[in-house]
Amino acid sequence: MSIESHSPAPAVQNPTQDIIKDGLWRNNPALVQLLGLCPLLAVSGTVVNALGLGIATLLVLIGSNVAVSLIRNHVQDTVRLPAFVMIIASFTTTAELIMQAYAFELYQILGIFIPLIVTNCIILGRAEGFARKNTVWRSLVDGTMMGIGFMGILLLLGIIREVIGQGTLFAGMELMFGPAAVNWKWVIIPDYSQFLFAVLPPGAFVALGLLIAGKNVIDDRQKQRVQKAVDDQPALSRRVRVTGHIH
Amino acid sequence: MSLMQRSSPHVMGRNTTSRIMLWVIVAALPGLLALSYFYGWGYLINTVICVVSAVLAEAAILMLRKRPVLKTLKDASAVLTGVLLGVTLPPFAPWWIMVIASGFAMVFVKHLYGGLGQNLFNPAMAAFALVLISFPLPMTTSWSTPEAISGEPLPSFSQQLSHNLEWQAYDGITMATPLDHYKTKIKRLTADELAQTPEYVAGPFYGILWVNLAFLLGGLLLLFLKIISWHGPVGLFTGLLVLALPFSADADSAMPVLMHLFAGATVFGAFFIVTDPASSATSNRGKFIFGFGVGILTYCIRTWGNFPDAIAFAVLLMNISAPFIDHYTRPRTYGKPKPVSGYKLPEESP
Amino acid sequence: MSRVDRIWPLPGGIHPPEHKSESNGRPIARLPAPHHVVLPLHQNSGLPAEPMVAIGEQVQRGQLIAKGHHPVSALVHATISGRVTAIEDRPFAHPSGLSVPSIVIESLSDQEAALSPEAVSMAPMRDWATETKERLVSRIQEAGITGLGGAGFPSHIKYLGQRQIHTLIVNGVECEPYITADDRLMREHATDIVTGTQIALKILSASTAFIAIEDNKPEAISAIKAALVAVTDTRIKVKVVPTKYPSGGEKQLVYLLTGREVPSGDIPASLGIVMQNTGTLYAIKEAVVSGTPMTERVVTITGEGTPNPGNYWVTIGTPIQDALAATQVAVTGNRPRVIMGGPMMGYDVDITAPVSKVTNCLLVPSATEFPTAPDPDPCIRCGLCEQACPANLLPQKLFWNAVHHEWEQARLNSLSDCIECGACSWVCPSNIPLVQHYRFAKAEIKREAIETIKADQSRLRFEQRQARLERDAAEKDAKRKARAAEAAKAQAAKAQDTPSTLDASAKDAILASVARAKAKKAASTGPVTQEALENTVVLAQQAVDKTRVKLATAVSDGLPSVEALTGALQKLEKRLADAQSALQSHTETGDAP
Ligand code: SF4
Ligand code: SF4
Repeated sequence: MSIESHSPAPAVQNPTQDIIKDGLWRNNPALVQLLGLCPLLAVSGTVVNALGLGIATLLVLIGSNVAVSLIRNHVQDTVRLPAFVMIIASFTTTAELIMQAYAFELYQILGIFIPLIVTNCIILGRAEGFARKNTVWRSLVDGTMMGIGFMGILLLLGIIREVIGQGTLFAGMELMFGPAAVNWKWVIIPDYSQFLFAVLPPGAFVALGLLIAGKNVIDDRQKQRVQKAVDDQPALSRRVRVTGHIH
Repeated sequence: MSLMQRSSPHVMGRNTTSRIMLWVIVAALPGLLALSYFYGWGYLINTVICVVSAVLAEAAILMLRKRPVLKTLKDASAVLTGVLLGVTLPPFAPWWIMVIASGFAMVFVKHLYGGLGQNLFNPAMAAFALVLISFPLPMTTSWSTPEAISGEPLPSFSQQLSHNLEWQAYDGITMATPLDHYKTKIKRLTADELAQTPEYVAGPFYGILWVNLAFLLGGLLLLFLKIISWHGPVGLFTGLLVLALPFSADADSAMPVLMHLFAGATVFGAFFIVTDPASSATSNRGKFIFGFGVGILTYCIRTWGNFPDAIAFAVLLMNISAPFIDHYTRPRTYGKPKPVSGYKLPEESP
Repeated sequence: MSRVDRIWPLPGGIHPPEHKSESNGRPIARLPAPHHVVLPLHQNSGLPAEPMVAIGEQVQRGQLIAKGHHPVSALVHATISGRVTAIEDRPFAHPSGLSVPSIVIESLSDQEAALSPEAVSMAPMRDWATETKERLVSRIQEAGITGLGGAGFPSHIKYLGQRQIHTLIVNGVECEPYITADDRLMREHATDIVTGTQIALKILSASTAFIAIEDNKPEAISAIKAALVAVTDTRIKVKVVPTKYPSGGEKQLVYLLTGREVPSGDIPASLGIVMQNTGTLYAIKEAVVSGTPMTERVVTITGEGTPNPGNYWVTIGTPIQDALAATQVAVTGNRPRVIMGGPMMGYDVDITAPVSKVTNCLLVPSATEFPTAPDPDPCIRCGLCEQACPANLLPQKLFWNAVHHEWEQARLNSLSDCIECGACSWVCPSNIPLVQHYRFAKAEIKREAIETIKADQSRLRFEQRQARLERDAAEKDAKRKARAAEAAKAQAAKAQDTPSTLDASAKDAILASVARAKAKKAASTGPVTQEALENTVVLAQQAVDKTRVKLATAVSDGLPSVEALTGALQKLEKRLADAQSALQSHTETGDAP
């Protein structure tokens, strides 16, 4: 699977820190692997939508990663994929039922995108590319980090699009957190006439593009800084370093 | 480099990119003036706002991209985009629509793709589509009505200015565009009844016809100066007529052919938008096909789509197909049996 | 309109300012004979000639002074009477600015000149109509006539081709701005050109000749027409073509007049067409009818930097600076800047270089006449270049290919069919130096091609050497074993032998030694012939490869030497095949015993 080729090092050798870094930044599912674009673009119109779907995806991802890792030595290769899909589907159904129970309106807004979590490539990708070959603990960390990484971007998109599209932030939080959250809504620009472009999917594409560009800029800067640090070192110590580390 | 400059050809034609842009701007002026004459100061005010914000936006993105600012601005392409936006946006629309449209055109449509010549989409049309779908309300209710139709005088310059800058709203009569009007009314009325409605007593084309003729004049000037070739415009008219002639014969159910040609942005689109070099096809044959496609799509969207005038969307759709058209209209090289129809991978060396 | 009169309009093309009136108003004047001339042994195309005179020798105008052994090399004649003062490398009017071996002749003092005959010439062939084709062709060769426009290829080659020619096209189009040499020549020597055309028709056994002239030269058209009326030759027709650059390009003119296209990479002869410049035909007529070798030509000297723009008969070999000085151009050091040819396709030359047979124009621009192009703007994809290209290429695509070093795609976009006419650069509103990019790309592609061939060559050599070493080792091994076996046998025989059979053993020994000597002989001659055969193969291989490189160069440059090189290559390949089969059979028979 192509997802694996994105991983900088063989999955099995990742120390926990690397897994965390991968999930949140280096191999971020939304910004680097560009996975799960369909829900990412469709439901990131407001923060509450983004949060709802983000949490649901996170939970499913953690659950499926752990479960897959648990049974990893007991499933035949031939039935591997159906088994994984079954697991993911069960967790998705669970998440859906939980949402129906506690955040029914949000559930209605997110609609088809909740059941569609089953087909989210991030989840199957992690199951296939990571959990299948790693211990339960690692898979748990990976699922959590990937889920948070995905949710983070989803939230960021939600914030950008809600502010630009409607001029508000955290509108409709009551859908999720109950009546107490009604006045969480924060009107940033009063009397804002909607900027529909940001609300519609094309706006999501543009916003995601900008986020990716932003990430690349940060990475480049960092690389330059490292390079500069290396260049600035006195020649002698650099030589020592180089001879000490033969790649 | 000095060697490069010293080899042939030693002479250059006098054509320059900025000359092309400037002439297109000049050619758009009659249309702009006609619009202002019939529909008020709004168009002029809009054009100024658009030009200024387009130039500023281009300067900003150039600095961000670390490109020479003044040299690039001198090619006048930003000004041109500003003018094209100014004549397309509704005259009563608030200033920030202009600013958003111009900024989007320059930053997102033009420079994110690499700047002049690299843009896939026509900046003015993409920006128009952006504000049209983003702000449907102001974009559909900000059209003005000529005095002869509404019976009310057009707003004065200061009234218009303070309206557009949102200091003080002007309560004038605004109306849907003629195309929009016809399209909604013809569902309930016959063509004869429609002619009795107040909007039509001055004639279905009052104003807009002259505007179209003014743009036609500008277009002919460009043709005369060989700044554009006839292929794109003729392609557009052909495409539109191919569908309009058979389908619009019955004036009671469909918009008449003449309205298709002269009551919307057709002429403007044909001479000023379809001929945009960067986002259209390059060969003459390709330009014709490009224009033809725009014509067909325009008719379809106008008739069966949601938007009354469809030049912008038709152009954007054809922009996407331009590389494809280019690929299939490659000329046959002198002395070669048939056009090289695309790139092959280099043959495996044994 | 009948098919014969029809014109097939050229796709593309441009109308740059003509600037012809500066120089075409006055009759062709003759510049005074130069003090010295420089005659390159390496003519523009073709192979270098070898000098037949020594330094200090006295020569006469028209005397043959250098000759090549290859049919493609033209002969070099002395263009003034005088004394050879040097045979050395001199700058040569070529875009590369190279120096090539040249013969320098200095004119004699007046006294000496009075004593010696003025010029040598060949026997005139007044009734050329009764001469044989072969004699006419060799006369053209002997007169040292080369094409007067373009690559300067020896003219007789065109008359030696194997393909059947039905149409001769006389190129009097002269579409480059500024140049009027052909125009003036046609006005003043129309009859001579018509005679030259008739001679060429006879040699080619062609049935039709078209004299193509652009419609901006009405005087030339009427002069030629009048000359035609006088000779009443129905085979020759004047075709007036619309003024447009580059109608005078060889391939463009073929299409314009016949509606047929020269296949990519081929020459007009493949369509049964030969094209000659008017100046060449004039020279042919002079050589045949008057017996004069080609020692001078018409050169347009023009541009804002010349006080007396016009056309001049200039002795070939005159240093450019002397020719300019003779027309009152102020020459200091290497100033002024001089362009040889027109503004569209000409190139800057060293003004100490001599006027050559292809020098149709010396353009001396003033400082402001050809301003350096401003820095290019980005390409706006306007497609103007595409519409201007006479070869129907996609200049703008080729430009991107060149910028991004996509040689393979440039090849697919037919870069090699670009004639470097400059029309695309001229129309480009963004002032992009397109042609310069194409030249760069072509040079890179050629370099890569040559490198691959070279790499192949050295790989082949290495493999052959490796194979030979292995075989040698194997042979040695076999010999050693054979010797050991023999020794063992001898040992055994000795041990077995009784004194009574001494006689027999002596006989044996003698036989053995004879056999050994024989074997030795065989062994000594064997490897030698083997080696020699291998050498032959390697040499033949090298020759083949070299010719291939040359052919590749010629094809990519569109040189007319392609035909000759193809022939040579075939011969060399045959030789290589022979050598290889000889080697093969030798190794087989040599290994058998
Ligand atoms: S220089 Fe080459 S590409 Fe340009 S117009 Fe001439 S033939 Fe076409
Ligand atoms: S003429 Fe120049 S700007 Fe126009 S397409 Fe060709 S290269 Fe580009």
